[in-house]
Amino acid sequence: MQKIRKISQIFFLLLIVVVPILNLMEIYFINGSFISLNVGNLAISDPLAVFQAIFLSHKIVPLMLISILIPILIVIFFGRVWCSYACPYFLMTELIDKLKKKLNIKNIRNKNINTNRQNIIRYGLLLIGFIIIGILGVPLLYLISPPSVISTQMIMVIKHLRFTSEVIILLLILITEIFFIYKFACRYLCPTGTLLSLFQFKSFGLKVKHIGSCSECKACIKECPLMLDPKIDGDSKQCNNCGICVDSCKDNLKQKTLFFKMK
Amino acid sequence: MNFIDKIKLFLNSFDENEHYRINRMRPPGAVDEKLFMELCVRCSKCIEICPYRVIKRSNLTKDFEVGTPYIYAEEKGCRLCMNCTTVCPTGALDKDVTYFRDTRIGVAKVDDTICLNHLLYNQEEAGIADGTMAVCNQCFNSCPLKFDAIYLEDMILPRITDKCTGCGICTESCPTKPKKAINILPNGMANRDEAGYIPYLKRKGLR
Repeated sequence: MQKIRKISQIFFLLLIVVVPILNLMEIYFINGSFISLNVGNLAISDPLAVFQAIFLSHKIVPLMLISILIPILIVIFFGRVWCSYACPYFLMTELIDKLKKKLNIKNIRNKNINTNRQNIIRYGLLLIGFIIIGILGVPLLYLISPPSVISTQMIMVIKHLRFTSEVIILLLILITEIFFIYKFACRYLCPTGTLLSLFQFKSFGLKVKHIGSCSECKACIKECPLMLDPKIDGDSKQCNNCGICVDSCKDNLKQKTLFFKMK
Repeated sequence: MNFIDKIKLFLNSFDENEHYRINRMRPPGAVDEKLFMELCVRCSKCIEICPYRVIKRSNLTKDFEVGTPYIYAEEKGCRLCMNCTTVCPTGALDKDVTYFRDTRIGVAKVDDTICLNHLLYNQEEAGIADGTMAVCNQCFNSCPLKFDAIYLEDMILPRITDKCTGCGICTESCPTKPKKAINILPNGMANRDEAGYIPYLKRKGLR
């Protein structure tokens, strides 16, 4: 399970490097960044970008709505797998965690995190963001969405051999992530993830489920990258279905206790 | 001047970062500037697909233009391949503009006081042609719409018609230094009043 996830993450990381190189070689079959990607004639867009454009211009182009259909359907059926299986920033934070473990630096993980409070903070930030861009009239929320910044900067580096200033914001987020708040962007800030989680319904889709006796080893709670309790928050809007808790569960060896289930 | 103003001044001091100036235009097919700023989601698709590396990505600037695509004609003019209009996901670059003669990203304008052909013409008119001036014709020769968008009056003076697409190849090839004798007046980007940044603040009269 984790192997498939790692392979998928590396595939998407390679995608943002290979696509600009292919475009340099004048192969235009795949084109674009994680904000909007063209595969042949199929366009796939980040719902955040499209909602911003519609919100500001009051103009709906049918192609925009078609292009966000695939991401939204994936979220409805399989949960926020974009974050755990594709996002290059999530891969980056996992590598940072591994490095920290090797250097014996402890992460500050607050044990008593209230998921409701977390939700209020992230949806509040998204709402404030939309109010700000409504006043400014410019779709700027991509600035605090790390995967968008990473993929567009990769295009700039490969095509023009230089960064643009968005990279400063990415560095600020990374510094906050490493030194102050654990998984700061994924849990609170990232507008892409927050908007996608609006389409995670409690009663439908792939969820982590808990059945039967639990030996209370709390391995899943320790391992969860988003600091959730998989037994309670398996169907919450924070869970991105990474499956680390399912793989870490020792009771699963004897009988199925913590597993993925389609509701 | 406070600290933030100093940072802004530093970031805007780079030559290519100066906005509202001539020779800086949007990619082909761009809708009018106000709508463009609302629609452009900064996905970099047009930058990536541009085969001549003409389209650039804007840096941090005063009017939240960060990340938007632009063409700087003094370095490289648009080759009008019309790849970029086909990929835009939100319609900030109009998909219907597929024929290169339909693009209107700006209009070229000849500066009579610097243009070499004009100077030679003036010398000959005054009867003092001493061999220091020569015929240039660079703008006419490089124009992709020769005789339509640009023609030579009296076989020497370059004149622009309304068929000019504003691609900026003439500006790129113009040899005068440091100022170019032929410049592009862009539609939208150069004019601060046309560009509709910060509509809310503008409505309140705060800007």
